[in-house]
Amino acid sequence: MKRSSGVRSGLVTLLMLLPGLAGFFGLFFYPMMVTLVRSLRPEGEQAGWTLGHYSTFLGEARAQGVIVLTFVLSISATICSILFSVPLSLVLRRKMRGHGFFRLAMLIPRVVPGLIGALGLLLLFGSRGWVNLALLRFIPFVTEPVSINYTIPGLVLFYTWLYFPFTAVTTLSTLEALDPALEEAAAVSGANRWQVLRHVIIPLIMPGILAGSVLTFMAAFGAFSIPLVAGGNYRPLSVEIYRQINLTPARWSAASARAMIMAGLQVAYLTIYMRILRRPST
Amino acid sequence: MTVLRQYLQALWRARKSLVYVFLLCFSLLIYMPFLMILLKSVGRGWFGRLWLPPELTTHWYRFAVEVTNIPEISKNTLIIAGLAVIMSTLIGIPTGWAFGRRKIPGKELLMSMILLPRMIPPIAYGLGVAQIFYRTHLINTHFGVALAHVAVCAPYAILVLSTTFEGLDERVLEASAVCGANPWRTFLHVIVPLILPGILSSMIFTFTTSYNEFTLTLMTYGKDTVTLPVRTYIALGEGYWEVTSAMSILLVIPSLLVLFLIQRQVAPEKLVGGFKGV
Repeated sequence: MKRSSGVRSGLVTLLMLLPGLAGFFGLFFYPMMVTLVRSLRPEGEQAGWTLGHYSTFLGEARAQGVIVLTFVLSISATICSILFSVPLSLVLRRKMRGHGFFRLAMLIPRVVPGLIGALGLLLLFGSRGWVNLALLRFIPFVTEPVSINYTIPGLVLFYTWLYFPFTAVTTLSTLEALDPALEEAAAVSGANRWQVLRHVIIPLIMPGILAGSVLTFMAAFGAFSIPLVAGGNYRPLSVEIYRQINLTPARWSAASARAMIMAGLQVAYLTIYMRILRRPST
Repeated sequence: MTVLRQYLQALWRARKSLVYVFLLCFSLLIYMPFLMILLKSVGRGWFGRLWLPPELTTHWYRFAVEVTNIPEISKNTLIIAGLAVIMSTLIGIPTGWAFGRRKIPGKELLMSMILLPRMIPPIAYGLGVAQIFYRTHLINTHFGVALAHVAVCAPYAILVLSTTFEGLDERVLEASAVCGANPWRTFLHVIVPLILPGILSSMIFTFTTSYNEFTLTLMTYGKDTVTLPVRTYIALGEGYWEVTSAMSILLVIPSLLVLFLIQRQVAPEKLVGGFKGV
């Protein structure tokens, strides 16, 4: 009796899980498998197997350039996000005037489509944008508009704008969960504010910073809409994938091979992220 | 490391005065791009080294509405987002319930798996989705595009609703039963009011996600299912920056409005989260 009711309850659980699992397998796993199979087929054929798409892509010097570019962009954006988010969260931690406003500002890049962000940033940093006008006006030795759009530093800036919220929100929420008693204890023991920050707060929020920056890194690595419209001649992996299916004739197998490489790298980062989350916080 | 140290040190010492300068720069950096889009969308003849457009006009908005058929495209976007919300909620309620209330072996791993589509770039499985949809003739149907969106929306609904169900207090349900309510009445008068806020916030989040989704739409749309983000992208490619700006403003106003309206109720920080809702 007991046992059969256990089986029944297990069945009910499974039944309830079914829609979620169906969604996962139907809309993610199966498409991934289709992509995998496609990447192993000769271009445009439905039969036969080849590793040619991987070897030609990974063998090309240009392809290595693409992967390096994707890494450089996402690593730089991650570092910029950390340098920006840690002071920002330390500042936003205290309740002050306009607190809610600033907190909300932090989320804005994540609730508008990346495309719109890219358009606004292109307008702002363009050769006739306000940033350049201000530079020309107020910085004496700037006589020509500085080109920011369609350059690597510009792209890093755009990426940072779009993806820093992952780091900032995670850091801020870790910071808010800190027990104020710890800081007080350190202060009572004679640590000055810098020492409290350096030896108590930063080590304690490190897991949060790390988790957030891995999220930023992964999002930046997979960034599509920003480099698509603001990348100019710089094409990271995602845009490279899209370009393959926009060629005539479309090269679906080549695109799939690139997509599989990208997915593989992402799963590797995800493993790192899970490790960071699992690690017991001190 | 020393650079970082000096940077933090300097910031710490002068923080009283620097804090507001820093926050001001930060807000300017966040809001200014939108101001530029707004100015671009209402300005005419804004060339050269001018800070503001010399002439204001509504021409670009009229152009966007009449020529690029924004009403039709908005209708597509809303139908698709609505369908995606319905499907994701129907998936999210039972699965979220199972995650929130049931013992499942390897629950954490299973949840990570369910959330995988949010972590892998959509372009990677979008390729597969497009190929499957071409075969099954789902390309260029509202249902098809919405179904593609469900791939990223459903994990959200499941995550939000599982925390909602987890928060349900067993004792309240028992109390209801003790007071003589049958299971149906308990469900209708106790459970539903308790989980309704969770369902609503899940619906808002999935709606926003679908409304803004670009990559998966790009892989599955056709001429009858152009959505606002895709149309904006096309307009950007055509090079009409003023019209693109007007469209962007029309596109972005609803999502900003929603953000400002819901911020008190539903902790929009969740929009940014990855696993575990952080």
